[in-house]
Amino acid sequence: MPDHQIIHQDELAELALQRVVASGAEYGDIRLLDSRTQHIRGEDRRIDSIRDTEDRGFGVRVLYHGAWGFAASSVLSPEEVPRVADLAIEIARGSASLASERVKLADEPVHRDRVVTVRRIDPFSVTLETKTALLLETMESVHRQPGIVRSSASLWARQDRKLFVSTEGSRLEFDLLAVNGDFDATAVHDGRFASRCFNTPHLRMGYESIENANFLAEAPRIASQAVEKVKAPTAEPGLYDLVLDPEHLSLTMHESCGHPSELDRALGYEANYAGTSFLTTDKRGTFRYGSPHVNLVADNTEPETLAATGYDDDGVACQRWDIVREGIFVGYCTNREVATKIGETRSSGSNRADSWGSVPIVRIANIGLEPGTTTLDNLLADVKRGLYIEGHGSFSIDQRRYNFQFGGDAFWLIENGKRTHMVRDVIYHGITPEFWNSCDAVADRSYRRRYGFITCGKGQPGQSGWMTHAASHARFRNVSVIGGHAGS
Amino acid sequence: MSMTSHKAWPKLTSREEFRFIAEQVLKRSTGDHTLVMLHDHHSGTTRFANNQIVQNVDTRRGSLSVTVAFGQRHGTAITTDFTAGAVQESVARAIEIARLSPDDPEYLPPVERQSYLAPPTMRAETATAGPARRLEYANEAIGQCRMENLGAAGIVSSALASVAVAASTGLFAYEERTDARFSLTAQAGEATGWSATAHRSIDHLRIQERTLTAIDKVKRGLEVRELPPGRYTVILEPAAVAGLWSALLWMLDAKSYEKGTSPFSGKLGKLIVDERLTLRNLPAHGDLLGVGFTSEGLPTVESDWITDGVLTQLAYDRFTAKTRGIDTIPTLDAPCLSGRGSSLPSLQDMIKNQERAILVTNFWYIRTVNPTDLTLTGMTRDGTFLVEKGAIVSAVKNFRFHESPLRVFNRLEAFTNPAEAITSETGKLLVPAMTLGDFNFSSVTRF
Repeated sequence: MPDHQIIHQDELAELALQRVVASGAEYGDIRLLDSRTQHIRGEDRRIDSIRDTEDRGFGVRVLYHGAWGFAASSVLSPEEVPRVADLAIEIARGSASLASERVKLADEPVHRDRVVTVRRIDPFSVTLETKTALLLETMESVHRQPGIVRSSASLWARQDRKLFVSTEGSRLEFDLLAVNGDFDATAVHDGRFASRCFNTPHLRMGYESIENANFLAEAPRIASQAVEKVKAPTAEPGLYDLVLDPEHLSLTMHESCGHPSELDRALGYEANYAGTSFLTTDKRGTFRYGSPHVNLVADNTEPETLAATGYDDDGVACQRWDIVREGIFVGYCTNREVATKIGETRSSGSNRADSWGSVPIVRIANIGLEPGTTTLDNLLADVKRGLYIEGHGSFSIDQRRYNFQFGGDAFWLIENGKRTHMVRDVIYHGITPEFWNSCDAVADRSYRRRYGFITCGKGQPGQSGWMTHAASHARFRNVSVIGGHAGS
Repeated sequence: MSMTSHKAWPKLTSREEFRFIAEQVLKRSTGDHTLVMLHDHHSGTTRFANNQIVQNVDTRRGSLSVTVAFGQRHGTAITTDFTAGAVQESVARAIEIARLSPDDPEYLPPVERQSYLAPPTMRAETATAGPARRLEYANEAIGQCRMENLGAAGIVSSALASVAVAASTGLFAYEERTDARFSLTAQAGEATGWSATAHRSIDHLRIQERTLTAIDKVKRGLEVRELPPGRYTVILEPAAVAGLWSALLWMLDAKSYEKGTSPFSGKLGKLIVDERLTLRNLPAHGDLLGVGFTSEGLPTVESDWITDGVLTQLAYDRFTAKTRGIDTIPTLDAPCLSGRGSSLPSLQDMIKNQERAILVTNFWYIRTVNPTDLTLTGMTRDGTFLVEKGAIVSAVKNFRFHESPLRVFNRLEAFTNPAEAITSETGKLLVPAMTLGDFNFSSVTRF
């Protein structure tokens, strides 16, 4: 954001916050956001869409007599800012009229800072010809494999330039970047079809993330595995030992650990939509969530990860903390509002909005599985009959996060310590704490990989959360596998 | 209530303002073809939980999209800034993208001027309902739950949007659309009861009736028994039926059909569900959320999709439709599923007629497990009951299902007349409540 725009935006922020202070509200903040998103999509050897979106606007949040109001607009003008600030105040006053328990914010030091994503190559500086050529060549490569009937490929980049100012005196500037690329191949065989996908991990990096992924080197493998997958035999239902790769585990962790560790869910804020949590506040510090091998750590300070933004949308500095330590549930993801409800003196810094037009809500942090001490070969070697699973597939979980069911993108049978051949239609299911208690080994740090999410749905109106989950391969014993078809 | 009376909402882009903007865009574009799309949206949601307001928001977001094409090369620029300079810059960005993009063999120029149905998409009472009205409704739901010693969590929302599309081909369409929603989860310890509705008119939300429905469910849920997983006869309320049908409708894509990557491949013209079931699109129906035109400016149309159980229609993109010689592309913005023959008057009659069944209020987290045979999974939620000898005898712990709509809707035993159905994961449909045999519950959860 050029300097003259920053000055202009500071004036708009001042205009809003003056009115908030004058209203007698105890707290207020404003976020002014200027986002640019470029999304290039290819399908079946053609580029079907190139979209470049400039999304600008601001949101004003007011806490009045212990109750919230929020108003936002895409009209950035000296006339609209006071109107929206007054509306936020009016809405907060209405909320206060029904408040039986006042919101109290956990203390946070005043911060004045600037956060910039480190990048080697600005994705918006890479020519469209380069990007579309990469996607077209990738899809061509995929289609060279006999049996492939469909393909898709895409590149995505987003830059968020944001100014956060609060009535407490915090002033935070952000210049954040995230990139992603993916492609897939779909094969048909004997009246059925199957896809295999490749994803870069959605990181806060520049275009170097795409270059490092080397689509053209990966495309033949993905295409070949799509064909192998569609022709593979189905897995027999039964109990299997599972060895899960980091990409697959990122989704398992997200759904079965990330969401239940959101304190707003545990307190009932999401009861009407995303659901509540089996990790109720009485369980903190005593509940055995997993085996002693399971250490799940939230780390919003790890460079390049999606939730490592320096500060959240409460203006709270990013932190690192334990969610599950040696199998025991010990910590939540919180914001300044809900932290005080369980006696915490400080928020964990997990309050985020997906745009200027959304109010911040508690979001999952960068929760990752801490590495163990063994190797992938050793994980496999100690399995007589098992399945090795890569990537994301079908997933579903109940609203308290107990009963889950996961598929995957690719599955291999493990027999007597060796991966033998691919199988298809694998679905495993279980109850969250039983599953994590069946974890008996995690591979070491050299196997650790990170995968990001940008479509984590929560809130009404719905918002998309961003976070990264890292893991090394891990092994789970005696997990129930059912067939992924209607007859099972 | 301390809130002051509602103030005028900010004026959204009018027809004439959009016409002016579109003319500016078309004048500045050097492309062979140019398409302009507007979505100017003002919405508010009052959200409550634990019997008090936890979130109370109001957002105005305008978005203008410009697509420019040179031959088969095209690019799109979108902005939320409607000032003259920003609009001009968006045209320039779209031109630049189009010039640098490769040929797209499936690109088609924008459609020409069309005539539209003009369904009743705008209701003034919703357009003028502001935070005070939403708060009043939230207070009503919370108050009723409080009186019963229950917790209330839910939303009241209202929205107004001006939506428009214009193109260098002479295409022009403009429409105002309103949308009001209410949903409530009543809570008592582990038990929950849910109800939801959506309508163009905020006057039609029927807050009290919906609240009493949620309260009735949660009260019936206080005593819970656990049944083993297995195959059961189920009575699905309209929301549960809608969840399964939405997953089915989502997969009707014609291109996938032709490439052999659709669960319907080879099934066009064949019986796919019980022969008493018919699915139609009814954009002008007052209880649905039909629209006048699609994002590309195509008119929405009344159309038949499944007739007497036979799949008669697919969802066409313009390119695939052209290759098949289809002039009028059917839309599926306002689906209505109905049953032919003797329907039962109400859900209560369906329960009365049942010896033993599981009554399902709603499904949650429905996902495709196997796209080839359309096997789905999901959980029952917010009101799952055992019916014995014509009456609800207890709540039961929630089940996970593992079923394909292509199988289970061939096991139809009874149905009601179509009723409104909406869930947090579906659009609005009109569907009957249904009794279905041999429904596969593959596991059970802990509550």
